[in-house]
Amino acid sequence: MEFEAVIGLEIHIELNCATKLFCDCPNNPGDEPNVNTCPVCLWFPGASPRLSRAALEKAALLCLGLNAEIQPVSAFDQKVYYYPDLPKGYQLSQAHLPLSRGGWIDITDEDGSAKRLRIHHIHMEEDVAKLVHEMEGRKPVSLVDFNRAGAPLVEIVTEPDFRTPHHAMEFLKALRAQVRNVGSSECSMENGTMRADANISIRTKGTSQMNTKVEVKNMNSVRHVGDAIAYEISRQSAAAQAGEKIVLHTRLWDPEKKVTTPMRAKFEGPCVPDPCVPVIKLSKKEIEELRARLPEMPADRAKRFVNQYGLSAEEASYLSADAEIAVYFENLIKEGVAPRAAMHWLTTQLMPAAKDRNQELSQAKVTPARLAALLKMLARDEINANAAREVLAHLFASDESPEAIVSAKGFKQVSDRGEIDSLIDKVLADQPGAVADFKNGQGKALGFLIGQAMQASGGKANPKVIREILTKKLEALCKA
Amino acid sequence: MDSVFFYRNNIKAASRSGALQKIKIALQPNISVAGWPTETGSNALAGFKALENATVAEHAVKAGAQLIGYTRMSEFGFGLKNSMAGSVLQKKAADVELVLDLAGEARLAALRAGVCGFKPRYGLLSRFGLAGLIPSMEAISILSMSIKNIRGILQAVAGADERDSSMPEGKTPDLKPTKIDPKKIKIGVIKDILREMPANERESFEKKLNELEKAGFAVKELSFPDFSQFLAVHQIVGSVEASSCAGRYDSVRYGKREPQAKNWNEMYLSSRGAAFGTLLKSYLIQGAYFQFESYAAYENACRLRARLVAQMKNLTAQADFIILPAVNQAASENPATLAETYTQFIYTAFANVTGQPVLFLPDKSGAGFQFTAARLGDGQLLSLGEYLQGGGEK
Repeated sequence: MEFEAVIGLEIHIELNCATKLFCDCPNNPGDEPNVNTCPVCLWFPGASPRLSRAALEKAALLCLGLNAEIQPVSAFDQKVYYYPDLPKGYQLSQAHLPLSRGGWIDITDEDGSAKRLRIHHIHMEEDVAKLVHEMEGRKPVSLVDFNRAGAPLVEIVTEPDFRTPHHAMEFLKALRAQVRNVGSSECSMENGTMRADANISIRTKGTSQMNTKVEVKNMNSVRHVGDAIAYEISRQSAAAQAGEKIVLHTRLWDPEKKVTTPMRAKFEGPCVPDPCVPVIKLSKKEIEELRARLPEMPADRAKRFVNQYGLSAEEASYLSADAEIAVYFENLIKEGVAPRAAMHWLTTQLMPAAKDRNQELSQAKVTPARLAALLKMLARDEINANAAREVLAHLFASDESPEAIVSAKGFKQVSDRGEIDSLIDKVLADQPGAVADFKNGQGKALGFLIGQAMQASGGKANPKVIREILTKKLEALCKA
Repeated sequence: MDSVFFYRNNIKAASRSGALQKIKIALQPNISVAGWPTETGSNALAGFKALENATVAEHAVKAGAQLIGYTRMSEFGFGLKNSMAGSVLQKKAADVELVLDLAGEARLAALRAGVCGFKPRYGLLSRFGLAGLIPSMEAISILSMSIKNIRGILQAVAGADERDSSMPEGKTPDLKPTKIDPKKIKIGVIKDILREMPANERESFEKKLNELEKAGFAVKELSFPDFSQFLAVHQIVGSVEASSCAGRYDSVRYGKREPQAKNWNEMYLSSRGAAFGTLLKSYLIQGAYFQFESYAAYENACRLRARLVAQMKNLTAQADFIILPAVNQAASENPATLAETYTQFIYTAFANVTGQPVLFLPDKSGAGFQFTAARLGDGQLLSLGEYLQGGGEK
């Protein structure tokens, strides 16, 4: 029997707001434990939640960026459960009237075709406190850190449109790009600002039945999500083949052993309308004003890059996904760098170099203006590509201009024909063997000799000039 | 007086000038005053001291009033068991008392003490700093011998509060006295209530209607066949909200923690079990039942509530004021169960369900009456009260 998987994702994203969702405490969960707290997020008697307008707007922009429809009326409910991370006995979430419904993300399927993955709804909710389990001597203790309690989250619930791990991974990558683009969150699975749970069930291929699903949690990278889904599909298929019944429960992904293990029976508490947080009403005008604030979305930007700069669809889509990279790219062009050179240097040199140094492009010392100055020197043949790469490394470390670094470190390219001429004569005299090889028709001897000449110049000679003069001289030697 | 006071404020603050200068206010210990034992009549908050002032307390002090102490209250203000509300006024130890009205408690306390009691409309007074139990229904209410004092307090403490987002934004409503001309005023009476009343109660109620007619008011019969449903809606929705609201009393950050528990779940169960009284526990368990086991019934109650609110709006549009009895004389004075507690509130709970203002006026008969009006009728209700008490503008 052949099975296919039916997969839906539930993704929590922490909004990058300055304050928490219902109080003015700083939204910095990583600070010293329990410094960012107040009577509201500790839920002291008499405290009153006040919905943050900034969080509402960031959440709404996120929805609009995912093609979702903001609802004119949405409201908070109390998701009732008792646990030490939730000191008021309920989590404020939008269960009955979510902020938005619908929406989608388009991805490229494994066979290269386009696939649309639909979103069911997106709602806002508050995060809960963090439990820290420690030992006090031999006694186990559990500590509660309320810095995260009340942090603003959105939850994106998809339709069960996913069939493969590839779908889930591509969805998450595109989701991250689109949410980062609207500026609502950094969406880092590694840092916990994006958390994805997968609901997975299987069925006989070709049927449309919906079977009992299993929820899988604890994946902290996009790859883990793919791996966990792949594992769960094969586990459930094997179980079904063996005639075992699938029961509704939650499993944890173990990234070390690469398996999922059962965690608990799934508990669904009641959701009661909250009487304290007012109903959210957004007029058509307010929604349109928010929509007007949306930046250009990655897919639109990619199309524009193809038309405007002559990039291939693949190159354009790569540069468009992240707003920071796209902006950097266009700033290089504004500074006078040719689009292809800008694309090439940004993707093959600058981005890996920044990643090696653990720096964000927006924070790196290598501003578009400084990189552009360097690339223009390269275009004018004042330096060669090797030197440019070395200067780039210096740009990360100092504030000096590329011009100053080039002259101070002697990177200036030698294009003086007389100088290169005598250099080559010396190389030819020193390497009779290679010259003989060339005469015998071994083409690669030319490359070797160019390298020798380059080395002799201390890497500064213009390689084009070397090749030109060397070729002439070798041809002359052959004729002689 | 310690049978009346739970906490007395012995710090004599220099009297400020203002609209409430020399007015002494007693409050219940569920209205936060920073540093005071805001224990809400419950062991669940034993030892808890408020961190901030409730908006109503802060505004009253700014207007020159003195806060003289906390009076004894029932657990979270629900029902009247152990509540001494009103006594402080009887003993003339205070001019005004602020009492939470969840289902009619403030109005029945006023009746017991023979004073006036006013439950303002929902959203007129800030709930910030109120350690409440039924957020969508309860209202801080004002008890006093004098309606002038009630109006004074309202004018000083009412209005938008950015710390309470359940309040409407905008200007402070006009609560100035208006002229009452009986000849131009229609007072409605709900015949469905009258029909159900025991004969002796109906007699004294009808006597009051005659008095009003003699005074020149037009009395008009109104029909509200569903009136009796207010109580069931209150009981279901109120218990669900109470169950959620009391969830935070877990003995972890304040209150008394039972020492024997082996894990957090046991600690919750035993601490909550030891802290709450029987009446409150049965209320919370009822609420949890509707949340976990019978959510559809709760949803029906919410739909019914919306319908009753609409019907009441329609009714208040047919008269300037509506008169109702206050006390159910058939109800036990010392109710032992949740059901018995609720029978005390058959005439009062409606205003908590709808959020409309309602004024209790004492009467020579000892029973007293409630007057209510349309949603925004707080100011007019107080003018009517002043007129009927013989002190208003004529």
